[in-house]
Amino acid sequence: MTSQRKRGLFIASFILPTFVIYCIFTLYPIIRALYISLFEWSGASDNMNYIGFNNFRDMFADPIIYKAMVNDYFLIFWKVFGILIAALFFAVALTRFGMRGTGFYRAVFFFPNVLSIVVIAVLWRFIYNPSYGFLNGILSFILGRPVDIPWLGDSTYSIWALLPPAIWAGIGFYMLLLIAAIKSIPASLYESAEIDGARQWKQFTHITLPLIWEQVKVSVVLIVITSLNGSFAIVSVMTEGGPDNATQVLGYYLYQMGFKQYHMGYASAIGVLILVLSLVTTFVLQRLMKKEVIEIS
Amino acid sequence: MKVNRINLPARLFSTLLLFIWTVCCVYPLIFSLFDSLKDNQQFYSGNAWDLPKLPLLWSNFSYTWTNYNFGYYFLNTIIVTVGSMLLALLLTATTAYVLARFTFRGSGLLYYLYLASLTIPTLMLIVPMFFLFSDLRVNNSYGGIILLYSITTMPIGMFILLGFFKSLPRELEEAAIMDGASLYGVFFKIMLPLAMPGLITISIINVLSFWNEYQYALVLLSDAYKYTLPIGLAFMQGEMQYRIEFGPLFAGLMISTIPILLIYIIFQRRINEGIVAGAIK
Repeated sequence: MTSQRKRGLFIASFILPTFVIYCIFTLYPIIRALYISLFEWSGASDNMNYIGFNNFRDMFADPIIYKAMVNDYFLIFWKVFGILIAALFFAVALTRFGMRGTGFYRAVFFFPNVLSIVVIAVLWRFIYNPSYGFLNGILSFILGRPVDIPWLGDSTYSIWALLPPAIWAGIGFYMLLLIAAIKSIPASLYESAEIDGARQWKQFTHITLPLIWEQVKVSVVLIVITSLNGSFAIVSVMTEGGPDNATQVLGYYLYQMGFKQYHMGYASAIGVLILVLSLVTTFVLQRLMKKEVIEIS
Repeated sequence: MKVNRINLPARLFSTLLLFIWTVCCVYPLIFSLFDSLKDNQQFYSGNAWDLPKLPLLWSNFSYTWTNYNFGYYFLNTIIVTVGSMLLALLLTATTAYVLARFTFRGSGLLYYLYLASLTIPTLMLIVPMFFLFSDLRVNNSYGGIILLYSITTMPIGMFILLGFFKSLPRELEEAAIMDGASLYGVFFKIMLPLAMPGLITISIINVLSFWNEYQYALVLLSDAYKYTLPIGLAFMQGEMQYRIEFGPLFAGLMISTIPILLIYIIFQRRINEGIVAGAIK
């Protein structure tokens, strides 16, 4: 066997198994999702009606879709806001303030990220429990009278109640990401700023933030993508979209349509909508957050 | 890194915030443990933050383990997690090595294809995946889930490992080839051992995500004896509308959490490295 053929065989034997599995379990499902979205289909194999783009037309007339979209973007907005401010503050505090025990804080702040989203949801469901939960317990204690607000059962509060668990569970990861970015900034920049008498805040706005902007951007994009995809899990365990669709998000609506009401075509169309929203939002944010990239030599 | 002046009030304020957030991250786990040792009476009459009364109800754990089938869930989760971790290693390392060291027709395309799949919201795949699994007759089988899990984390793992392989010196491989080693020999005997830190990093990250995976397991596992821990715990939470058993519920939560928390604490540094490698593109 020539060495050329040996090389070819080697490459093929290393690339193909992965590629075949990838085609079966990623590429093919993507294509099939797009395909199913053009049908009216209960999931039973014999009655699959081709209806073109009717699922998408129906979607535009479906008020729950709008409600879910508003909720999704509500969650995204406050998550970006809450997670980024906290993660930025902790990242700067643990790198630039000369605090003690930074390794400890870094490890502990990542704890919520290690938990399954189901564990997080079960935990927070209990915190919000109207009769035995933590939150009402503390409120009763402070106010000196019994408080029994059904946080997840009252549509005034329920969507807000989903935010603390989501933010709580997100901070650690983005903090680590930003810490890594800050650590890669050359110390000499801070030293000369110090000599020039620039204080912490000025160092933050003039050195840290511009130089980690790339990672801030990555963080925002990641929060958007993971939120559009991941709100499903927390909603599924905490509220199932209720009460009266007050916490409905696209992801859970997809699951509900597909696996509870057996409208597989419509569910797939919602999936395509999630894909489009995720790509468009990412693109728009990339544009909005574009800044001159500062090269460090 | 040089550390800056920061005035006393700012330092106190920062320390306070760090302290508060430490409590926020640790205390829920502690009160979950406390609450897993209580009976219903203590939930009805006391506060959520009260310490459990003696004797501690460790029996909640055995109750959840047998009556709520957490014994099965635990075993299933271990099988799926370990199986997927091993298969993911093989699928990821082979591809990463070839993409790091060889150029061939389509190699660039393949790289970008894998990378682009990171932007796909995987939720849109639960419907087709459900039907794919029934077509392949692998519903409720470990094999199907393991194949799926190992390929879902392959692109990000490949990306991390690719950097690792590229940073290893080429001379070693060239010398080994000169000595008559085969390409396979070079990979398995030289490159894999050298890339061990990278392999461990991606494995830990994978284990975290496999242990906790929810969306696919939810639609692909319908047999209650095949549930993994997240599905089992979600199912148990659902049962609470018929009978309230907070103590056992928290025991289930602890059973789902303690192993993965221990793994995290042991391998914490590796995870930090992985995040750095994966995110600083």
